[in-house]
Amino acid sequence: MSDTRKLWTLLGVLLVVSFSVLLWSGTRIYEAAPPMPERVVAADGTEIYSRAEIEKGRQVWQSMGGMQLGSIWGHGGYVAPDWSADWLHREALAVLDGWARAEDGVPYTELGAERQAALQGRLRPLMRTNTYDAETGTITLASERAQAIREVSAHYESLFGDDPATAELRENYAMKNGTVPDAENRRVLSAFFWWTAWAAGTERPNDTITYTNNWPHEPLIGNKPPASTFLWSAFSVTFLLAGIGLLGWHYAVTHDREEARVPLPEFDPMRHVKATPSMLATAKYFWVLLALFLVQILFGAMTAHYQVEGQLVYGYEMAEILPYSITRTWHTQLAVLWIAVAWLGTGLYIGPAVSGHEPRFQRLGVNFLWVCLLVIVVGSFAGQWFAVMQTLGLENNFWFGHQGWEYADMGRFWQWFLFIGLMLWLVLVGRALWPTLTQKSEMRSIIGLLFLSTVAIGLFFAAALMWGEHTHISMVEYWRWWLVHLWVEGFFEVFATAVIAFLFTRLGLLQAKTATVAVLFATIIFMAGGVLGTLHHLYFAGSPTPVLALGASFSALEVVPLAYIGFEAYHTYRLGGATPWMRRYRWPVMFFIAVAFWNLVGAGLFGFLINPPLSLYYMQGLNLTPLHGHTALFGVYGMLGIGLVLFCLRGMKPELSWHEGILKTSFWCLNIGLALMALLTLLPLGTMQLFASLEHGYAYARSAEFMQQPFVDLLVWMRVPGDTIFSIGALALVVFVAGLWLFPKREDEVPVRSEKESRLGARAGE
Amino acid sequence: MIEFYAEIRLVHIWSVILSGSLFFLRGAALLAGERAMPGRIALSMPVKLASYTIDTVLLTAALMLMTVVQQYPFIDHWLTVKVVLLFVYVGLGIAAFRFARTRAERAGLWAAALLIFLYIVSVARAHDPAGIFAG
Repeated sequence: MSDTRKLWTLLGVLLVVSFSVLLWSGTRIYEAAPPMPERVVAADGTEIYSRAEIEKGRQVWQSMGGMQLGSIWGHGGYVAPDWSADWLHREALAVLDGWARAEDGVPYTELGAERQAALQGRLRPLMRTNTYDAETGTITLASERAQAIREVSAHYESLFGDDPATAELRENYAMKNGTVPDAENRRVLSAFFWWTAWAAGTERPNDTITYTNNWPHEPLIGNKPPASTFLWSAFSVTFLLAGIGLLGWHYAVTHDREEARVPLPEFDPMRHVKATPSMLATAKYFWVLLALFLVQILFGAMTAHYQVEGQLVYGYEMAEILPYSITRTWHTQLAVLWIAVAWLGTGLYIGPAVSGHEPRFQRLGVNFLWVCLLVIVVGSFAGQWFAVMQTLGLENNFWFGHQGWEYADMGRFWQWFLFIGLMLWLVLVGRALWPTLTQKSEMRSIIGLLFLSTVAIGLFFAAALMWGEHTHISMVEYWRWWLVHLWVEGFFEVFATAVIAFLFTRLGLLQAKTATVAVLFATIIFMAGGVLGTLHHLYFAGSPTPVLALGASFSALEVVPLAYIGFEAYHTYRLGGATPWMRRYRWPVMFFIAVAFWNLVGAGLFGFLINPPLSLYYMQGLNLTPLHGHTALFGVYGMLGIGLVLFCLRGMKPELSWHEGILKTSFWCLNIGLALMALLTLLPLGTMQLFASLEHGYAYARSAEFMQQPFVDLLVWMRVPGDTIFSIGALALVVFVAGLWLFPKREDEVPVRSEKESRLGARAGE
Repeated sequence: MIEFYAEIRLVHIWSVILSGSLFFLRGAALLAGERAMPGRIALSMPVKLASYTIDTVLLTAALMLMTVVQQYPFIDHWLTVKVVLLFVYVGLGIAAFRFARTRAERAGLWAAALLIFLYIVSVARAHDPAGIFAG
């Protein structure tokens, strides 16, 4: 059996096994999810909440932006509190305060430490004991808790309205006045928040840990990390070290193998590829992409600014028109959208470029898809705005408004529309590649890989369609991470690896067979950790312990290939200088090298920082999460998207001379700006929050009391230098691309090299 | 943030002094010609980077002060004048360093930029759009 065949078989087996285990984990999550009660009653029989109210409360929460304003179980935004942790803390304090006032005649905070400890000892069983009766679907609560719930609910009803008593808190949380104008909706919203807090504080039947594996850290009720988090954190580090050792051994064995030298082409083989009408039509994808990128930065700046001025943007009452939850929604949504547009455009460009075949009506298809994408962006964003402004109505929200699930916020109608668009993209790329796919040639295997990754990108978006309007939140989270982790982190990565190797093959710098083996091997290594690594997002989302164990172990393996990414970066760097004409590709190559750097720092280091269950127990939803988010999502996929765009532009306008100075400015500003954003604000702020979370509990680390400290404000302001530099980088990129159309300048062909140079350059193919 | 008002103001003032001084020195050096040693230093990468860094700090401190004192451009006119003239100053500066064709042209643009800069400082000190001309 050939090397390639063996690797294909191994990849097939790996994917079948991994997905079987992932699906089995889904069934475990389904079975062990915290129950949704039919009724919640006080000890005297009076009803506190019904199932319908809790479910309607979730709809209200989703319609106001859901995870984009505060978070649930640690998933969501960072300025407003985690509503589950906040409710749990407030309810516990309300019970304690009620006892202190009734028995000691003073507030709980004025009691001595010994008396406080005694009351906490009484509180723990009251809060942690599971009183859910599965037969009747009823949760029965002690009268003290019923009273505490009424008090906390009153607070939330005030906070989400426009009561002046909570105006300052709304400003601190970057909430608009009248976030939920309808009083009844505010009441049921509290019901949903209460249920998430109940699951976080109530022990599973016949167990001593809560439905959320004791998350959040809440000393008042004895919520502390369970033994499994210690155990699987230690094992995950061990697995990581073992993986690094094994891969190191593999490199040692295979890296020095002699490979056939590739005779490097004297001229750029892509230079004379004639762009077909459909290839030229992809230019507008890149223009739109750059526009979306700029708008994304603008909304990011507004979102960050709300952390300082609450409802204002430099004195202007912006929250009345574009509240925080909208700017954050659009900022996160646009990140995925513009990067996806880069993928789509590249796929459509490369298809005919590879086969030299322009199928009938291909250009029409490219143009039609582009119009559809515009309609999806405008339509879904408009729906989200109407939802957050609370004018769409709950009955329309799921299909046309705001789903409230971070990164999967668009209404279901728009998700279907996007899915159909992706299928159309698949067909367009597939039919262009078809002649090459069906022909027996050296290139067939690597093109097959490229095509398979496009199929995966198209099909795996369907994960976003797997949940319904009333699906249990734990199951929504399960499928949502299929989308965010598998679709974005998994198959985007496979596509990225395949497309870069493919491009170098097309340039004649790599042999097709070598590239295929390398890409297949990289895909196997990546998917070995990547598929089951999805579960590391679900440690505290109502999942049972096996899910935590699998997530911790396999996600640690995801870091293994990143530890060796220096090899890839150096290889790319050498290929970049392999021939004189490769100077034409200097900047796409530089962006590919940046991808490797941020893969190590953003995905590897900052990712692993929050990856072991014990770390994430304290860190989830603190500023260490966006530290990983920004450096990995933009650092890896953003940089890659830009590299691909530049590559396509080189082919689209091969005769033009590039203004390298502007690209250099763009490259360095984007990288330095991103580094400053991470190092001056997100890392120090996240670390401060971590100390608070460890010492005082999670609710405090996310509270207004903590987040409104002057020093935190100062750290947030420290984003301005980095963000300004980053924005200059983005503007420079736009100026560069616009210049290709507005002020084109022709370049002369690079001359043939000497024989000596050819021999030296040939070594770069190793 | 009000707690750090004095420190932020100090950073702002010092970065204004540094920014203005550097602009003055670079302009003066360039008058000797781009190829002469002072001119080469004025256009060298370390000097450019120092200038970008100072201006970024200046801008950050300005934005922070704005939200601390709750006074904003297009609402408080002394700030409106500062913002508008800032663009004029930057434009003249770029023209002087990059696009001036003769020494006299460069000197004129540089001097005009410096005058604008000084006027912005006077507006800041007076908290009045009329700046030095305020009664």
